[in-house]
Amino acid sequence: MTINDDDLVAQIRQALKVVIDPELGHNIVDLGFVYDVSIDDGAAHITMTATTPGCPAASFLKEGVANSACLVPGVESVDVTMTFEPPWQPWMISPGVKASLGFAEVN
Amino acid sequence: MIGTSLCKWVISYFAVAIVWLLLAEVLVVAGFGFPNHDIGGPDTLVIVHMVSIGWLSTVLCGALFQFVPVLVARPLYAERWTLPALALLTFGLTILLAGFLTLGGHFDGPPRLLPVGASLLIAGFALVVANLGMTLWSARPLPRPARFVAAGLACICVTAAFGGMFSLVLSGAAIGAQWPDLLVSGVPIHAIAGLGGWLTFTAMGVSYRLLAMFMLAPDGDARLGRLAWLAGVAALAVGAVGGVLALWRATGVNLALLLAGAAALLSLIAYGRDVLGLYRARKRRALELNTRMSLVALASLVAVAILSAAFVATGSLPSHVGALAFLVAFGWLTGLVLANLYKIVPFLTWLETYGPVMGRVPTPRVQDLVDERRTLKWFVLFFAGSWAATLMLLVDAALGFRVAVAVVTLATLGLGEELIRARRLADVAEPLRLPTGAVVPHLLVLRN
Repeated sequence: MTINDDDLVAQIRQALKVVIDPELGHNIVDLGFVYDVSIDDGAAHITMTATTPGCPAASFLKEGVANSACLVPGVESVDVTMTFEPPWQPWMISPGVKASLGFAEVN
Repeated sequence: MIGTSLCKWVISYFAVAIVWLLLAEVLVVAGFGFPNHDIGGPDTLVIVHMVSIGWLSTVLCGALFQFVPVLVARPLYAERWTLPALALLTFGLTILLAGFLTLGGHFDGPPRLLPVGASLLIAGFALVVANLGMTLWSARPLPRPARFVAAGLACICVTAAFGGMFSLVLSGAAIGAQWPDLLVSGVPIHAIAGLGGWLTFTAMGVSYRLLAMFMLAPDGDARLGRLAWLAGVAALAVGAVGGVLALWRATGVNLALLLAGAAALLSLIAYGRDVLGLYRARKRRALELNTRMSLVALASLVAVAILSAAFVATGSLPSHVGALAFLVAFGWLTGLVLANLYKIVPFLTWLETYGPVMGRVPTPRVQDLVDERRTLKWFVLFFAGSWAATLMLLVDAALGFRVAVAVVTLATLGLGEELIRARRLADVAEPLRLPTGAVVPHLLVLRN
């Protein structure tokens, strides 16, 4: 990966913040739904998850991720993989969002 | 399978159900049925079936069409069956109620209204059970919450079968005359399978999953969950199968019901402790209004268990059955349903409106579709009214009961308005309310 690819990955992650989990009310990057973002010759490969496989929002989240990544200059194509391995866990949430959801320190 | 689609007619189920609830509440406030009339009389049966079928069963069917696929991560077997089922349930109930009104002398209708209404209801429930049953069948082995739903579906079959037989007895049909004692001995089984099995057991299963999801709690205690499941199944099996056998042999119904009651109590205690454990272990400390109100509804269920045990011990259960049934139907089930509708309706509305444009434009949160502070007062009024009404029944204050139910009716109207506001996106601030590409949803039908 070149330094430009690193920049592009950062830009894609930033762009993905427009996609929110409707129930938790926070963007999917800070919630830890985005497992991996990589770039290969302008093609973005994104691996993501949702809270549960049957969640009615899952397909919308996947489509939203593809839509937002497409808008990043330099991205020529987007391939989104939805996985539930490993399953999403609340500890994957960023500290700032944990605080706003009222996570207890003991937990 | 990733994700499940929106069921087009879910909101229609909810709307029809709320109309039935309001009708029932208005009739009670007007003094129709129990406690002004006999608890087993035709007028009371009108109210009981408006609440148990029109409100609770209809709303539960709609919720299950959306959430059974979520529980088992499989698509609904046949969405095209959902609208015919709603039509059959609604018309069947209307005709059944006309039959009860005829029986009560309010209406000059033919005696066959009751069996015709019951037949339409049985057909409607058969469509619901077949649809959900095939969805569950495709997902074996079932996770525990889904097993509760499967047991609930078995119970609605028992309830409907007894209801169909009662309609034949009450209408004076020749075949019904062969079972002269059925009404006396069979009503407890009909009520237990309906209120306890279909409505409560199913609600327990769905709420297990929803509460854990909304509170970001780990899975509950496996031993307590297994105990709640096994004791609940034992209660339903002893109550329904044992009850039917006892009816056939014309002895032992009370023993079967007592054993079923003890097993049900054990199931409720295990379930209550498990949910309390989920609450304590939750990651999300700041709970939303729907979750807080679900827990308040659960407190009503705990109260039912404690009061039932106390009344059995003091031998006063027969004189307090009406109060307990009211607390189950309103404090527990209606409270739980209204609390969850307050989450489900905005959530589905959000998916329908903003799901298709996600990633292209900023979108509001589900929480932006509601105003919790404004809605809290309606929930406070609802629970205070329900508990006051129960108390009034316990102390035989009929007028006080009607006043308390008037408060419950006002709260229901207020909560109904909040749900309509959510469908209208009325509380979403500009400029997020209707970003480019988003369309205001229809009030009663989901786009899917």
